[in-house]
Amino acid sequence: MNDVTPTANERLPFRAGDFVTLAEGLDYAARGETGVNFFSTRGSLETALPYSELRERAIALARRLVGTGLRRGDRIGIIAETSPDFLAVFFACQYAGFVPVPLPLSINFGGRDAYVERLRGMLAAAGARAAVAGPELVQVLAAATEATIVRFTATADELMALPVSDEPLEALGADDACYIQYSSGSTSFPRGVLVTQRALAANARAIATHGLELGPTDRCTSWLPLYHDMGLVGCCLTPVMCQTSVDYLATTAFARRPLVWLQLLARYGGTISFAPTFGYELCARRAANGAARDLDLSRWRIAGIGGEMIRSRALTAFAETFSGCGFDARAFVPSYGMAEATLAVTFSPLARGVRIDRVARGETLERERLALPAGEAVPPSQSRSFVVCGAPMPGYAIEIRDDAGRVLPERHVGRICIQGPSLMEGYFRNPEATAAVLKGDGWLDTGDMGYLVGGELVVSGRTKDLIIVGGRNIWPQDIEWAVEKLDAVRAGDVAAFAVTDSLDRERVVVVVECRQTRPAEQAELRHEIAAVVNRLAGIECEVVLAAPRSLTFTTSGKLSRAAARDHYQRGVLRDLDAGAADEAFDGSVEPAEPAVAVLAEAS
Amino acid sequence: MTENVLNEIMALMQRYNPDGKPLEAKTELGADLNIDSVAAMDLIMEIEDKFDIDIPMNQVAELKTIGDLVALAEGQLQQG
Repeated sequence: MNDVTPTANERLPFRAGDFVTLAEGLDYAARGETGVNFFSTRGSLETALPYSELRERAIALARRLVGTGLRRGDRIGIIAETSPDFLAVFFACQYAGFVPVPLPLSINFGGRDAYVERLRGMLAAAGARAAVAGPELVQVLAAATEATIVRFTATADELMALPVSDEPLEALGADDACYIQYSSGSTSFPRGVLVTQRALAANARAIATHGLELGPTDRCTSWLPLYHDMGLVGCCLTPVMCQTSVDYLATTAFARRPLVWLQLLARYGGTISFAPTFGYELCARRAANGAARDLDLSRWRIAGIGGEMIRSRALTAFAETFSGCGFDARAFVPSYGMAEATLAVTFSPLARGVRIDRVARGETLERERLALPAGEAVPPSQSRSFVVCGAPMPGYAIEIRDDAGRVLPERHVGRICIQGPSLMEGYFRNPEATAAVLKGDGWLDTGDMGYLVGGELVVSGRTKDLIIVGGRNIWPQDIEWAVEKLDAVRAGDVAAFAVTDSLDRERVVVVVECRQTRPAEQAELRHEIAAVVNRLAGIECEVVLAAPRSLTFTTSGKLSRAAARDHYQRGVLRDLDAGAADEAFDGSVEPAEPAVAVLAEAS
Repeated sequence: MTENVLNEIMALMQRYNPDGKPLEAKTELGADLNIDSVAAMDLIMEIEDKFDIDIPMNQVAELKTIGDLVALAEGQLQQG
């Protein structure tokens, strides 16, 4: 078996992402010995792929792709398995002038049909003309191409069997698109972020030089999915632009054996690795029995955190669990970003660790939206601890705005708006969704709520209804529509939302207006709802069967999830089982209070 | 379906069945036992370790019942 690619190049001078296109970045990296490595679920090396070989394979594939009748700029959907093939096809698109569209994987028990629908929605929205997957998933992908304009579905090997075309290769240039990322939006209305070469190059450069102070002795370790920005941009494309070697563990392998992540870091001297909070949480839980005593994590200088609300307690637990392995809590680097900005916007200062801003709960926070520091005397129950995510990178700016668009001073909670050289041009073929977030003045409304303290960003919640569980984005409409398909449920009877528990974890609640009166029917309905949600999203949810007319709608007839959540949390919206004990409760609910009552919500 | 694999998997399943529901080959993993995607990975890992097999992840979306799981484990064992 081959060895892993080295951390540093022997002779090739290090360049921190100063390239104009991704293809140019790979061309340069291919002149050295570094590259990417893929490991099995148990952590043994399966493939070491130096950037030189990745480039060869990508160009060989590109020469075949240009002969398939696709036109320059056509989209190619690729299931983003953590595999050499995915990277080779992704970069083949770069060299051949096609726009790759990384597609998600799915791992829910019995979730095949929902997965096919999701893929189909993305392929259709992207107007993809070709689709590529590994041998195990190519049939699922082929099923998803029905009723789309996809002309062929193939594996990388099948593409390699095609004849080489005489057409000259013209790589995607500085003014072209780089890829389209579908990480938000519902199944029926997926939203693809169109990232340009210019945006990718700008963000990779800023991440490398300012965010991570990346150098020739750094090595990246990643289990993050390559269909999300943190995995794709942070742990795949930025390393290519900086000739950094990467050790990859498939996300599904990490989910099964999280400690393999840390074993790889220790064994190969990884210095940089990112994860959402739950990744650290999973490791701490799994290592509780002392399974990880022998690891040396002392070289890990950047343990980045992003992707969902950062929960400091879980990080503290991780640091305590692994302090005996040489893990330094100052390596934690909370950060903030999103696909719409390509990836990163802020990084905490390196070597500082997690900084907490503890603010007083209550009227000031919830009604006046003022995040005032909680003094020593304030007990934890009266305060909220938020993680400070750092200042925007040079070239980027953050403003906190109120609902009328006015810029707010420090410690005022409002909508987080960002500006910078890597903002998307828009959602692909979706001017309405684009106009809703890109205001035309060069600023993007992120949909998140937060405030500034000392020029650093604190994220306090979201304005949109998006549910994030275990780092995955789940669109509430998808859950609602799936539940509405049940015989006993009518359209408009369902509201799905997330509530945050005392440990800042999100839990999904599904409220269904119930017309069944017999307990046996109700029990059956509960079971069916939980089953549908599990098949769709692979999550457990709390089912609340409520009396008819419990849900509130806005004047324009839109379901108000914010109101449903507010009523649920205040105990007004209760399950029929709970309500039966209370004769005074007739199932009707006061009209929704103004959304200002709920900090994280605005309509 | 051999008794042995079935019994071993049934034994592993107990931890994922806090409500003590009766388990049969046709019990649905997601729908009946409410196993979420994180717990699903734990279960897959336990089965892999128990039988020293690798379960391809792409097959998980096709798994609905305990019986499916047993059949898959048996298939991998025969290949192994």
